[in-house]
Amino acid sequence: MNPVVAGISYRAVLGRRRVWLLILLPLVLIGLSALLLAFGSADERSAVLLMEKFAIGTMLPLLGLIVGTGVIAPEIDDGTIIHLLSKPISRPVIAQTKFLVAASLLILFAAVPTFVAAYLLVSGESGIAFGFAVGSLAGGVAYAALFLLLGVFTKHAVAIGLVYALIWESVVGGFVPGARDFSIQQWAQSIADQISVSSYQTSTVALGFAIPALIIVTLGAVVWSGQRLRSFSLTGDE
Amino acid sequence: MTATPIHEPTGVIHDIGYRHYDGRRLGRGSAVAALTLHSLRGVFGLGRPARSKIMPFGLLVVMLLPAVVTVAIMMLVKQQGMGYPGFTATMQTVLAIFLATQAPYLVAPDLRFRVLPLYLSRPVTVLDYVGAKLAAMTLAMLVLMVLPLTVMFLGELLADLPGPGHTGEFFAALATSVLYAVMLACVGTAIASFTPRRGLGVAAVIAFYLLTSAISGVIYGVLASLSRDGAAEWAMLINPFFAVDAVQVWLFDTPPGNGVGYPDGLGGPIALLGVLALIALAVLALIMRYRKAASS
Repeated sequence: MNPVVAGISYRAVLGRRRVWLLILLPLVLIGLSALLLAFGSADERSAVLLMEKFAIGTMLPLLGLIVGTGVIAPEIDDGTIIHLLSKPISRPVIAQTKFLVAASLLILFAAVPTFVAAYLLVSGESGIAFGFAVGSLAGGVAYAALFLLLGVFTKHAVAIGLVYALIWESVVGGFVPGARDFSIQQWAQSIADQISVSSYQTSTVALGFAIPALIIVTLGAVVWSGQRLRSFSLTGDE
Repeated sequence: MTATPIHEPTGVIHDIGYRHYDGRRLGRGSAVAALTLHSLRGVFGLGRPARSKIMPFGLLVVMLLPAVVTVAIMMLVKQQGMGYPGFTATMQTVLAIFLATQAPYLVAPDLRFRVLPLYLSRPVTVLDYVGAKLAAMTLAMLVLMVLPLTVMFLGELLADLPGPGHTGEFFAALATSVLYAVMLACVGTAIASFTPRRGLGVAAVIAFYLLTSAISGVIYGVLASLSRDGAAEWAMLINPFFAVDAVQVWLFDTPPGNGVGYPDGLGGPIALLGVLALIALAVLALIMRYRKAASS
């Protein structure tokens, strides 16, 4: 962890237009839960539906994509990463710092709003709010690491991440049950399901697989990003 | 001490062969057409490195897959496969990804490298520039939708299925494709033009699609579970793809592509108004954005 690198990364994500997207998504989530309250359908079933479909299924991958690539991709795009890499800071430390920044932002913009939205609907009932907040936290951390790695590897990180989150996790995962084993979203659902006792909630991936998978993906991606940065070469684009 | 001699001027102008262009000038219309064609090629990665071609052509192949499967079903089993009217709404995720990954390419580099004044130093005006970009994106989206539909229709003609043909439905789907293409191109390009960074543009465009479709899905799910089906059908219209599909159902009386139907009566006209308002808003935002970008 290097505080200067962390400061630069926070500024890069929060100082530009990116931050509006980061604020908009949780606002919509909380707005939706307020709307459900107004409909008078603040029961467990709608809370689980909102959490599964929106909080974990839509908001988390999107925020992961924006934040995970946002901490490093713009610097690579502009070429200013050279100034950072030429300083006597270990490259793995740079990668770890950027990962910690992304993970902390995802906790702030994904996990906390998830808890607030679920708490608004059902307060502490069946542990739904707490379960989804923890699931969203774990998934967010893994997404941050994975998309950071993508950002280091390619300039089309957002597009490729999008294909993973939308086509692999949503479409293929919807038809082919085996694909769900390799989906961060499903791992997050498993953790949420484990903590909450709501009967409306189902998850397909066993917890014994989901937790090791989350840890391996997160650690592996951070270490690999650091290694990749050690032999990084800046290439032109189009 | 002598007076400084008065030198003859020694500078000469060499003729190094620069020539004026004295051919025919094609004018503004041609410039706009050239910009449109260049942008359209760029959307599909033509004239860009091989890596840029993977995404657009990959997605085009994904769009064609169900059409090919449908043709195979019609040829082998002699049954109608996937219908024409619901095709685009079914494939909405693929179209949204195409829009999100390609629309920022159209607008972001010019904004980022501040080359807009170079375009505007030619006869091209801000409106021409915006129009050319929108036309290119609209044409690209049309290719993506019309090509699979046409493949399926040709397959149906060749398979010579028993029973009545679906020519009417095919032409209804073609007409609706135009509305889909215009709406998607305007909205996608407008959102992408607000950031000079391609990555953020991609995320912003897909966020628009995911937000609208997820909001619509959640509200529909909750209302349907309360068995307020009438209200639930209205929630479907929040998703822009289903809004256009509702217009198609209203105008051409085709089966709904969302599987549950749309509100009767006022549903179709209101969906059409909503889509037109969205297009107008997007075009207005684009023009304002480029007026500002051109003056900076």
